[in-house]
Amino acid sequence: MSERYNFSITTFSPSGKLMQIEYALMAVEAGAPSVGIKASNGVVIAAEKKHKSILSDESSVSKVEPINNYTGFVYSGMGPDFRLLVSRARKIAEEYYLTYHEPIPTPRLVQQIGFSMQQYSHSRQVRPFGVSLLVAGWNQGRPYLFQCDPSGAYFPWKATALGKNYINGKTFLEKRYSDELELEDAIHNAILTLKESFDGKMTEYNIEIGISNKDGFRKLTPEEIKDYLSAIL
Amino acid sequence: MLAIREQQSSSDRAQQPISVDLPYPGFQFDLCLRNQYLISKGFKAPIAVKTGTTIAGIVFDGGVVLGADTRATEGEVVADKNCEKIHYLADNMYCCGAGTAADTEKTTDLISSKIRLHSLNTGRQARVQTALRMLKQMLSRYGGYIGAYLVLGGVDCTGAHLYTVHAAGSTDKLPYVSMGSGSLAAMATFETQYKPGMSMEAAKELVSEAIQAGIFNDLGSGSNVDLCVITSRGVDYIRPYKEACSKGVRQGDYSYKQGTTAVLETKVREIKFDVVSVTEHKMEVD
Amino acid sequence: MSILEYNGSAIIAMIGKHCVAIASDKRLGIQAQTISTDFRKVFEVNSGLFLGLPGLATDVSTVERTLQYRLNLLQLRESRLLTPRSFMYMVSSLLYERRFGPYFVEPVIAGLDQESYQPFIATMDLIGCPMEKNDFVVSGTCSEQMYGMCESLWKPNLEPLELFEIISQALLNSVDRDALSGWGGIVHVVEKDRVTTKHLRARMD
Repeated sequence: MSERYNFSITTFSPSGKLMQIEYALMAVEAGAPSVGIKASNGVVIAAEKKHKSILSDESSVSKVEPINNYTGFVYSGMGPDFRLLVSRARKIAEEYYLTYHEPIPTPRLVQQIGFSMQQYSHSRQVRPFGVSLLVAGWNQGRPYLFQCDPSGAYFPWKATALGKNYINGKTFLEKRYSDELELEDAIHNAILTLKESFDGKMTEYNIEIGISNKDGFRKLTPEEIKDYLSAIL
Repeated sequence: MLAIREQQSSSDRAQQPISVDLPYPGFQFDLCLRNQYLISKGFKAPIAVKTGTTIAGIVFDGGVVLGADTRATEGEVVADKNCEKIHYLADNMYCCGAGTAADTEKTTDLISSKIRLHSLNTGRQARVQTALRMLKQMLSRYGGYIGAYLVLGGVDCTGAHLYTVHAAGSTDKLPYVSMGSGSLAAMATFETQYKPGMSMEAAKELVSEAIQAGIFNDLGSGSNVDLCVITSRGVDYIRPYKEACSKGVRQGDYSYKQGTTAVLETKVREIKFDVVSVTEHKMEVD
Repeated sequence: MSILEYNGSAIIAMIGKHCVAIASDKRLGIQAQTISTDFRKVFEVNSGLFLGLPGLATDVSTVERTLQYRLNLLQLRESRLLTPRSFMYMVSSLLYERRFGPYFVEPVIAGLDQESYQPFIATMDLIGCPMEKNDFVVSGTCSEQMYGMCESLWKPNLEPLELFEIISQALLNSVDRDALSGWGGIVHVVEKDRVTTKHLRARMD
């Protein structure tokens, strides 16, 4: 029966669902885990970057991507789709800066990327994006953390997890989160959350971390990640 | 007009401009016909602010020095006595602009944006050559109608580079360059005093001399000397480097007694700078 | 005659101590014939943020409405107020969009920053080259007279009342030597908690 509603992405099923959107969300849930935590003085996003083969060149793959000086993205789901959203977000951010000479407010960027993703949920000849984004930003003196789904829906979070085992990740974060959290503790917690579902040994090369605070957004170097890991293990 | 545009863009699916409050990309030509008509009726076309300028730069041992005066003119009127003509492109390169002020400003802004995107997408610092290419391709596309005459200087992984870019898109790569209405004065200074492999201090002094030659001999150039020194260690933007001519001190104090001006009606309105309430207030206005 | 001089106008903005003022004449003419002596050329686009538009009257309306539309939409969307500097860049973008078929206006912007209460004034040419100043800006058919008046009258740290006298006198004496502008004046002085608007008595010839 449900095959009838699988044919077109723009056909609702009798229960009121768009099946292709549901499937896109499943693609996200099957993707490698990512996590984001907002602290009082910044925000951290992190993701697992595991490779199927020891032959692959890890240094050439990147999951945490800077969008402008103050914003970064990470995702769970399909990598190629993510790259398209990243390049679109960078253009949106630059366009805004050119017009107002002011960095784009994070909510505004998320709103526009959400709009873009929503277009793909009701347009012909396209499929929804197979990614959920986590957006880390710093704007007007405060941190922002957003999640953006294939349907185009977006949510602000204090902390959240995406991808494989995200339910465990969220339960873990619920236990560890407090409003007074500092960025340093948030980075530790982000690593610990990833570790919850991590198979094998976690190294500075198979996770990625990005932070955004008053100094802007940047990715942590493998050396910095190594320091955090050694403090935990 | 707007309704039509919205229709067009909704058929353009995912690529449509997302925000109505952001300008549409590219230039708008809807007023051209009207303006041409007005000119045909004998009205003079207004002039835009020009930076009748002296800009110059030299390569020294380990980097480049860029220099500019700070006068902007509107016809014979000095529109800005201390304007900024050395524009930021990227952390490793800057660009001096002469010609139509808005064009130099917007062209460098746009290229700066494109360079930022380029470095984000490639994950490394852009080369000066890349910026040059972007500039000349953009300018030549507009056939010289965008009146930006530029001196581009910077340092990258391949060393220090200095270029000039003309509005039509032609470019030169030289160890010492000058542009703008005062370029002859500046070039005369360079031709007599430039030596290869100068030290940074000597280079700064020479560029300052060249700009001052422009300030004193060219009416389109004036006020101060700005310098920008770019090396692989970083950027030193000196503004002003030198005040070529200081203004005299005003002797008289012209002030009016309170109540001199006859007032017909006075209205005082309290304002609250409150983000939320003012936004709501704006809704009621329209 | 330049098309910018078709309707006649004169606008000045000045910085004082923790305050800014913007003044304009009130004349609307068709070349030498006066049509109105109560024409608005200064608009309060936000509380405490003023936009003065000297130039061709038809473009004054179009530009003002387009900007107000874009600004309101942006502020609703982001639920915040735009800073005066960002507003300047917004105006500049609008004008440069029409680089090859410009609006015939040379805007003046004056306002206080909503957070720091820093005074801000700026002007630009008709294709949107932004010029931010820390003393005074002038624009209109008698800009040369206004430059002269302001150069001799303006000084740093003017209190709101002094600033009012100086900007008013600068305006009135400038337009006296210009046939195209004048016929009344209006001055807005913006302080951090209030806007004082005064209509000036001027020569009506």
